[in-house]
Amino acid sequence: MFKQQHPTKAVSVLLDGRPSSLPGGMSVAAALLATGEIVSRLSPSSGKPCSPHCLMGICYECLMEIDGYQRQACMTEVQEGMVINRNILKNKEDQHEHAA
Amino acid sequence: MSMQHDAVVIGAGPAGLAAASRLAELGLDVLTLDEQFRLGGQIYRHIEKASDQQFRFLGDDYARGQILAARFRKSGAKYESSATVWQIEPDGSICYSRHGKSKRIKGSYIIAATGAMERPVPLPGWNLPGVIGAGAANNLAKEAGLQPDVPLVIAGSGPLLLLEATQLIKKGAKIEAILDTTPQIPPLSAAPKIPPALLRTDFLLKGVAMMQMIRRSSVPYLKGVTDIRCLGSEQVTGVEARQGDRTLTFDAKMVLLHFGVIPNTHIFRQAGCRMAWKNDQRYWHPVCDNWGRTNFERIFAAGDGAAVYGALAAEYKGELAALETARCLGILPEYERDALAAPLRAALKKDMYPRPLIDALFSPHFDATALPDETVLCRCEHVTVGDIRKVVAEGVHEVNEVKIITRSGMGPCQGRMCGPALAEIVASESGVSIQKAGLLNIRPPLKPIPLDEVATMDLGPDGSGPANLFKNQSK
Repeated sequence: MFKQQHPTKAVSVLLDGRPSSLPGGMSVAAALLATGEIVSRLSPSSGKPCSPHCLMGICYECLMEIDGYQRQACMTEVQEGMVINRNILKNKEDQHEHAA
Repeated sequence: MSMQHDAVVIGAGPAGLAAASRLAELGLDVLTLDEQFRLGGQIYRHIEKASDQQFRFLGDDYARGQILAARFRKSGAKYESSATVWQIEPDGSICYSRHGKSKRIKGSYIIAATGAMERPVPLPGWNLPGVIGAGAANNLAKEAGLQPDVPLVIAGSGPLLLLEATQLIKKGAKIEAILDTTPQIPPLSAAPKIPPALLRTDFLLKGVAMMQMIRRSSVPYLKGVTDIRCLGSEQVTGVEARQGDRTLTFDAKMVLLHFGVIPNTHIFRQAGCRMAWKNDQRYWHPVCDNWGRTNFERIFAAGDGAAVYGALAAEYKGELAALETARCLGILPEYERDALAAPLRAALKKDMYPRPLIDALFSPHFDATALPDETVLCRCEHVTVGDIRKVVAEGVHEVNEVKIITRSGMGPCQGRMCGPALAEIVASESGVSIQKAGLLNIRPPLKPIPLDEVATMDLGPDGSGPANLFKNQSK
């Protein structure tokens, strides 16, 4: 979807239960978009996938669980060791399997 | 850190940086709270870490932010990043959340410089993954050096849409089409606005250069486009639109939307500031005097959050608010305040010359009646345009009542994304004026915060208990 013009120093995070590497020095939302992860959450009202829309803290489409709290991914700088859960798998069982 | 400051500036974009720098230079104790993790606001996003290549590419308009940031750092103004203000009060009290803790502090004066946001305009499929704001794409370029590498369509109206288009053309992005909703023939109202704009040929030439670049590129540029619709089910796959009686379709994996910018006013509405409707630009803004003071003695509005005039004007207005604040605090006598303000007012006037022309050329023309019923209006609560129409047809003609019935505006974004269009739809469907349709009431917290932060926060000497924080505001 996007390409990063200059690679930045990578950070290791736990993304949806899996160890992942994301580019550092930017917001969680930008780092996920840079690695092709465009879905930020499933809409709690429609169940449909969402992606970040405004990238400046307005739309809340990138709301995801970061280190235990629901945070706006576009307003949160990605950090080494972050635990990020988007809860984007369609049903609970998949979610559990994925985490295990 | 102290709980009391001479002034608290909210926002670290051009207006906030200029205001805070000036106050600190005058020897005042000023704290700047900014929600982003880096200063610069949107226009100067990432300014302190930008690469040489980014400076070359984004040009002088962006580089100006470097001077502003350096001045701010040197001024001695206190600065807290990642600080989300979630309540302000007319007495200067401010509650904000930072790194998982909330605090209540007080400023003798508050200068709120919350900036502008892209006008959210609903259209079918605008909530599909892959549909993002053109300004958002610009932010990604500044913040992370990201550039789209899939076929994309740019749609909407306004100078920033064209600016983003030219930047993407320069970068060699795969643009399938630019769909401009601006009418093919400029409105008659634009003609009398031309003479003042001629005083700023530098500005007009920039616009001409942008248009030339778009026309010379191989990208199809279509004007007077209507009925834009983003296609796809799980992700955007294309765009459909009309131009006259022609139906256009394009394949695209990304759609960049932009319909101009409006002030970010939640903070003023929460405080109970008097708001006014700007009809030609169709947005609400806080009522201010020519120093930026709202109807509350201690609350100032500066920059695009007060009314959209761009980055330079924001800088001047930030300084003007700072000068008046300094006078109120007894640092500047009136004659000195006025002497310092004079060159700023002159610069502001010069900067404003082309604005009426731009505003007339790109005046918003949101046609609420053209939206299909199934269009999602409130993304958070999944409320459609049809849901609103049904309630309005039942005789509900005020946005807050519509909100209570439909939940439009009750999600985490608190009506930031649906509010402006909701009012337009209610007004157009019911036949009442937009002022009568009203403005969504905003209550604290301005942004959702974990309850445990409120329960454990230090309220300061005059705080009685968390329950008092949420005591009813205006209305």
